[in-house]
Amino acid sequence: MKIIIESPQPNEEDTIIIRCTSPDQQLISMLLSFQNSSTELIGYLDNKIVRLNYSDVYYFEANENRVFAYCHSDVYEIKYKLYELENQFSSLDFARCSKSMIVNLEKIEYLTPLFSGKMEAHLKNGENVIISRQYIRDLKTRLGIQEVRL
Amino acid sequence: MIKEFFASLLHYFVNITTAVLIVTAVYMTITGQQMDSVILWEILLSGAITALPSAFLVCLDIRNGRILLLLWVAHYLLIFVITLLLINVFGWYKITAFSTILTFLAVVFIYLFTCFVHYIVDMKHAALMNKQLKQRYPKK
Repeated sequence: MKIIIESPQPNEEDTIIIRCTSPDQQLISMLLSFQNSSTELIGYLDNKIVRLNYSDVYYFEANENRVFAYCHSDVYEIKYKLYELENQFSSLDFARCSKSMIVNLEKIEYLTPLFSGKMEAHLKNGENVIISRQYIRDLKTRLGIQEVRL
Repeated sequence: MIKEFFASLLHYFVNITTAVLIVTAVYMTITGQQMDSVILWEILLSGAITALPSAFLVCLDIRNGRILLLLWVAHYLLIFVITLLLINVFGWYKITAFSTILTFLAVVFIYLFTCFVHYIVDMKHAALMNKQLKQRYPKK
């Protein structure tokens, strides 16, 4: 299957055209989930309520029943559970990296292994997050690396 | 989690058994002892027994650095005690102050060997993942 991305004409709305023999159930549900997916979040910082775009978030972290979105330098509280964010953004560039953290893959500068079997993700804002051993396998799959499964 | 545990158990079993074989080969060359065939089964069994706590430890998702360090120290001591017990049960050699020090050093070697092998494999995986990340998210 070919994927072609073209730039629209000036003042033209972004459009998705699917050219196929007959759209199957998988394709329809994929398109519906894409259409319904929200890429905006409401973040709370002190007394401010801010509209956040998912692409600005480096990682989400759950701490004492509260969930925070870490952006370049600011940290916003998010009124969602971590698993809700995981479901909402799993089709985008977010991946679970530990029990309490979801990381934006696009914000990872590079990865280094640790002696404990975990990995450390060095983010583009200079922060480091730990990727637990049990989530490394999923991350590899997300990045298209095939492994021999036991 | 269970799958991860068994995968880790297999990796640790292979690495620990290889390291124990190296230690045994060195020990027998130096002392000039002959090896009974049963020792091979004993090495395999000791590899399986010591791989159990190692596989369990790496499956724990602990983020506190201090607790993790304490757990690794406790894990090392546990492996050392298990090794001494196995030496006693199998009658590999008599437990004396000198042989205990040698065993301590042998366990250090096995520990470092296993960590090093895992680290080398993880480095290769990290390089592959970094390559994929670069391709997927080229620098703007």
